[in-house]
Amino acid sequence: MARAGGITNAVNVGIAVQADWENREFISHISLNVRQLFDFLVQFEATTKSKLASLNEKLDTLERRLELLEVQVSTATANPNLFKT
Amino acid sequence: MQSPINSPNLMTERRLRNISFYSSSAHSNLNHQEMETVNTSATLAVLLEPANYDEIAMQQSLLFSDSLKDLKNLRKQLYAAAEYFELSYTNEDKKHLVVDTLKDYAIKAVVNTIDHLGAVSSKVNDLLGEKVNEVSETEHRVSCIKQRLSTCQGCFDHEGLAQQSSVINIPKYHKRYILPVGETMQGGIRTKSKYQGCSLEDEDDWHEFKNAVRATIKESPVSSFRKGRSPSPSPRASHQPGSFAFTGAVTRKDLEKRSVSPRKFSLLRMGSLTSRPTTPNSRASSRSTTPNSVVRQRFAESPKSASMRIHSDRDRYKETDQKNQIPSKSKRLLKALLSRRKSKKDELLYTYLDEY
Repeated sequence: MARAGGITNAVNVGIAVQADWENREFISHISLNVRQLFDFLVQFEATTKSKLASLNEKLDTLERRLELLEVQVSTATANPNLFKT
Repeated sequence: MQSPINSPNLMTERRLRNISFYSSSAHSNLNHQEMETVNTSATLAVLLEPANYDEIAMQQSLLFSDSLKDLKNLRKQLYAAAEYFELSYTNEDKKHLVVDTLKDYAIKAVVNTIDHLGAVSSKVNDLLGEKVNEVSETEHRVSCIKQRLSTCQGCFDHEGLAQQSSVINIPKYHKRYILPVGETMQGGIRTKSKYQGCSLEDEDDWHEFKNAVRATIKESPVSSFRKGRSPSPSPRASHQPGSFAFTGAVTRKDLEKRSVSPRKFSLLRMGSLTSRPTTPNSRASSRSTTPNSVVRQRFAESPKSASMRIHSDRDRYKETDQKNQIPSKSKRLLKALLSRRKSKKDELLYTYLDEY
């Protein structure tokens, strides 16, 4: 009986150890996924920031060009003699 | 991953079901809002059928804001689920069941979070791409407008340049082709004013020519012209070294003749050149060089005059042998001098010469 009880205890310990390893594996998988998610978020932030910066620069350039064109057109309309050829 | 529970109690089963329900409710909160947004978007997209671009943009912005709100609420839900599982693990006896439920919840939460973040990031990327495309299109339009404007500016500049050049660029002709003041061409195109535009230059030439004549007369007190016309030199010419010598010899008749044809005057002046080598005076050398230098200054630009000058120099060196050829070459020189002034200025020259 004592031998049988010792065997069942060993089996229970083995099962517990296996469950513990399974839990650890699961936690490692979850943590790896969270890290990958975090990396993706960091990369997405960087990409989005660079895209927004380039977009802002293009918009600034466009704004300047439009201002220049507006001034030129206003000058041309203010001097109608230029159009009398 | 199966829990090693062999003999579950009814109470524990209910509690675990409750736990699983709560955990699934905490998890389902994520999916619930997502499903709601998906359903609302589908209904909006299918039933309403937005007519214009603004409504579509509004719907997309609403969906995007909803997904962002879900992402913000995800943090709170995860913290709430973690607290609940912690309490249930400490209080409940069936810990394996709690752990299994927690594992399922964590897996689903991670998957849903990834899906949510992917959807939001893709929407952000699409939005940014659209904006970049719009900006590039706007740049293209602006560059087109700029090119058109530059083309118009070039046309204006060209037209203005053409107008101004027609005002400023008066065609310059050689003096021999310029008509005297008061006369016009047969075509009537070139008028008096264009000739008067060159009057200043002509005056300069006139002064140069006058000085040349003065120098010629100054350095030839005994003019051959006088010899030719009147053999006895007048004492007045010798007393006035700067004056023209043959004024006394030129009469009104001669003046009229000259005004009619100036070439006759050149023939008369030719006589002075013919008699120049015959003068034994030492002044002859200076007299022969000085007019040439003046003429050289006067006609330094024209190769014709230079060739004539060369001919005259050659005549001067060969004056002893070729007495008959000298008058013809000097005659050419004086013809060239005076044919340039077949105008009223010749008359002015003759009057000037007559004054002296």
